[in-house]
Amino acid sequence: MIQLTNIEKYYASKGVKNYVLRLVTTTINQGEFVSVMGPSGAGKSTLLNIIGMLEEPTYGNYHFMGEDVTSLNERKRIELYRNHIGFVFQAYHLIDEMTVYENIEAPLLYKKVGSAERASRIADLLDRFNIVAKKDLFPNQLSGGQQQLVGIARALAAQPSIILADEPTGNLQSAQAEEIMSLFKKLNEEEGITIIQVTHSEKNAQYGNRILHIADGLIKEDIKIQA
Amino acid sequence: MFKLNLKIALRNLWKNKTSSFINVVGLAIGLAACLMLLLYVTYEWNFDKQAKNWRNVYVAMTNVPGDGNKIAATFNGTTTALGPLLKAHLPEVKYVARMDYGKKSLIANGQNSYKKDSKFAEPDLLKMYDYQFISGDPKTALKNPLSAILTESTAKTLFGTTDALNKVVRYQDRENLTITGVIKDLPENSSNRFDFLMPWSFYEILDRDVKDLNWNNYSFVTMVLLDQNADIDLVNRKVDGLVKANAPQNAQSQPHFLYQASKLHLFGKFENGKPIGGNIEQIYLFVGLAFGILLIACINFMNMATAKSEKRAKEVGIKKTIGANRSSLILQFLTESMVLTFIAVILAIALLELSLPAFNRLLNFNIGISYFRVTSWLGILGIVSATGLIAGSYPAFYLSSFNPIQTLKRKINAKGFPNISLRQVLVIGQFCFAIILIIATLVIYRQIQYIKNKPVGFDVNALVEMPQEGELKTKFDLFKTQLLKAGAVTSMYQSSVSLSHHGRNFMDIKWDGMTKPANTVMFNQVATSYDFIKTNGIKLLAGRDFSERFASDTSAIMVSASAVKVFGYKNPIGKKVTLFGTNAHIIGVFDDYVWDSPYKSNNPQVVFINLKQTGTITMRLNNANSLQHNIETINRITKAFNPAYPTEISFVNSLYQEKYKSEQILGILSNLFGGLAIFVSCLGLFGLVAYSSEQRTKEFGVRKVLGASVANLMQLLSLSFLKMIAVAIVIAIPIGYLSMVKWLNNFEYHTEFSWWIMPLAAIGTLTIALFTVSFQAYKTAKANPVDALKYE
Repeated sequence: MIQLTNIEKYYASKGVKNYVLRLVTTTINQGEFVSVMGPSGAGKSTLLNIIGMLEEPTYGNYHFMGEDVTSLNERKRIELYRNHIGFVFQAYHLIDEMTVYENIEAPLLYKKVGSAERASRIADLLDRFNIVAKKDLFPNQLSGGQQQLVGIARALAAQPSIILADEPTGNLQSAQAEEIMSLFKKLNEEEGITIIQVTHSEKNAQYGNRILHIADGLIKEDIKIQA
Repeated sequence: MFKLNLKIALRNLWKNKTSSFINVVGLAIGLAACLMLLLYVTYEWNFDKQAKNWRNVYVAMTNVPGDGNKIAATFNGTTTALGPLLKAHLPEVKYVARMDYGKKSLIANGQNSYKKDSKFAEPDLLKMYDYQFISGDPKTALKNPLSAILTESTAKTLFGTTDALNKVVRYQDRENLTITGVIKDLPENSSNRFDFLMPWSFYEILDRDVKDLNWNNYSFVTMVLLDQNADIDLVNRKVDGLVKANAPQNAQSQPHFLYQASKLHLFGKFENGKPIGGNIEQIYLFVGLAFGILLIACINFMNMATAKSEKRAKEVGIKKTIGANRSSLILQFLTESMVLTFIAVILAIALLELSLPAFNRLLNFNIGISYFRVTSWLGILGIVSATGLIAGSYPAFYLSSFNPIQTLKRKINAKGFPNISLRQVLVIGQFCFAIILIIATLVIYRQIQYIKNKPVGFDVNALVEMPQEGELKTKFDLFKTQLLKAGAVTSMYQSSVSLSHHGRNFMDIKWDGMTKPANTVMFNQVATSYDFIKTNGIKLLAGRDFSERFASDTSAIMVSASAVKVFGYKNPIGKKVTLFGTNAHIIGVFDDYVWDSPYKSNNPQVVFINLKQTGTITMRLNNANSLQHNIETINRITKAFNPAYPTEISFVNSLYQEKYKSEQILGILSNLFGGLAIFVSCLGLFGLVAYSSEQRTKEFGVRKVLGASVANLMQLLSLSFLKMIAVAIVIAIPIGYLSMVKWLNNFEYHTEFSWWIMPLAAIGTLTIALFTVSFQAYKTAKANPVDALKYE
């Protein structure tokens, strides 16, 4: 589903090229749960952003579901966001002015899903994540773990085929982190959603079935985990 | 989607109370000012446009020939002969109605008499202006010479009811008139207003000059209703031909043309016979002012929105990653600004309703919002959507263009080159406008003061005048004797016009040593009685006043200094002048004094004795008695002569005050709206400073911990804003200077542009801005650094 070929990314400053990613080539298939690991500044987040089409690589080819996306226009990219990709952020990035319910509803509105369908999907998500009672609260009235649950519910609302998560548990206590990670595992196993997460924690990485170790912009290791 | 956007817009407003308050209040003031000025502009624009046929109603204009084939003046007076000529020979003419200019005359129901605006007109006037008859028949209302049409409020004043048909009123204590119609009151914004209308045939009975079809006396107005397909240029060529063929032609003949009657109010200024604008310039100015203030408020909105962009950027980023496209974001931001504008307009209408009575009183208008007219709602709706779009467009397009990853990484650099510079430009623009308004206000004020303090040429104090009516016309000498005996006045005279007014213009004058075969300079004539100079105290340059001791004074004239200049006489006393074919000799020369417009010099004036041309009685009060006593005495004696008439004594100095009215309106409006512009600009500045200090709270905390004093921090925060004001001052002062010098040059008599106005405007603006900025800066600088630092 994702095919990266010789992806390079650098920032030029004062004539010196600062490489973030060098010649990254990898393929991620439907249904995989990939954890990207590595020290700070290794290029993990940049890789995730490139996969999420939030950043463009300086060189290289990127095919998403068989389509070359390096030269995709904004309209097409937004189509992909609406239908295939769900983002989960370390800082949750919920919209402060919207209630829990509205936050989850927003992507469906952009996707122009009918109101009955919307209501049933949101009800289902609220129910699944045990946040029915919180649906009318605003993000700042929730704990970090609860906010991240809403973040994931929002990412799932549009029924994406892939979830991109940038340190989803980075701001959470370990109990909450475990809850989130098991949720990811369950989504991956039961619903076949492809998940790519960036993490620092070896423990979190064990929830997935593949680990990409990155250092200095290069893929050092590509380990398959046997469940 | 829309519902959610609306909900979120409201939540955003509630959350950011300071900026919402600034935006709403600023926009509300801007909208209120805009609506108020637009109401006034609509009122002026619709002058004389109430009748169904207003487009086809024309008024006959007269060009007065001047030096060298030029046209010296254009006015709407015509002779009695023009109307019937046009009616008989012009196929395009549907109706013609001659009128007089209208005056105050006495109308009485038994013992209750009132001075009301009266007018004489031919019956076809009723077919041009569709007056709404409450009772009576418009077809026959002006048929009988001894009849009158009353307006609703006149009928109520006289009879206490509008049911006045066939009742009798007494006109000028002379004739009884039967009421043949009662009509609805005329709209305020019409030129031909009256309280009661009488038939032209009655006017012909009263005044022989009216009945006589002549080409000399231009004291009448001719209204014409043309066929709606008539080509006005063609009609005017025909009018010219007709007049040339039928009126005696000489060097002083005055050509006529027809002019759309509704245009006379706003486009009534003519130069060389061609319309060159008029009051419309003031209307343009007000429209500019209205939208200027609204624009300032819109700029506030844009500035606040872009200042908050860092906060909003995150939201934009998230929305883009969950599938929002640019247009849905633009729509969201526009919804927000529309909601805000909508709240502001409700507040604005409330503000408008509260301030309209005061505004009307201040400027002597009567305007209001007509809530039941579709057009006023459409107008308000139009302004709201335009305002919302203008205010919202910049933030909408700017914010929605953010790249999601940059915003989420908080990489949006609020101090980056493009956005801060635009914000600076907007703030500078706002303050430029405000400073120009301050300069304008100061200059207008100085000009009004200058004209007011300019000597009128005689002592206006203790000088009073009253209309010469009824018995006072025939028994003036007796009246004078009694008043002098009673000691209320020290001297008095009668004259054809009031001292503050212009008399009849004429050109039929010859003098010795004239270079041209006929005179082409317009002279002004005043007919008077003895004691002219003695009473009014105009400075005598040579010779003497009219006096009863010289029997020959009946054929003597006094002339103004400018008349002597035209004559070219070195030693004018005793020289001969031929006036209307009669010889007269000059006995005195008086200094030019102010009459008609105080802003320009007047044409040469000739004063002669003619006791038949009555009009106004001017009296100098006796300073030995109290003012009250003098007035009471005059009142008592006048009442004894003229029991049917109310006595109307007016002070000459208040008549002069009246003349400054239009400049005073301009002064009040520029004060008011200049003040509002500055207030709204400062509101925006306050918002920006508040936001900037909120953003820099952490920086300030760190600086304080490092040992910065409150003064250091205030300076840090204020300086960048004050720099913008300084730039605005540099830009605005030359613009203000040039435009006001141009404005001053419109007046023949004008003050100089004083140099101190510029530093005063600059320092004033800087002080206000400094005060606005430092209030917030002080608050921020005084804050406890710990509070600031624990945010992160």
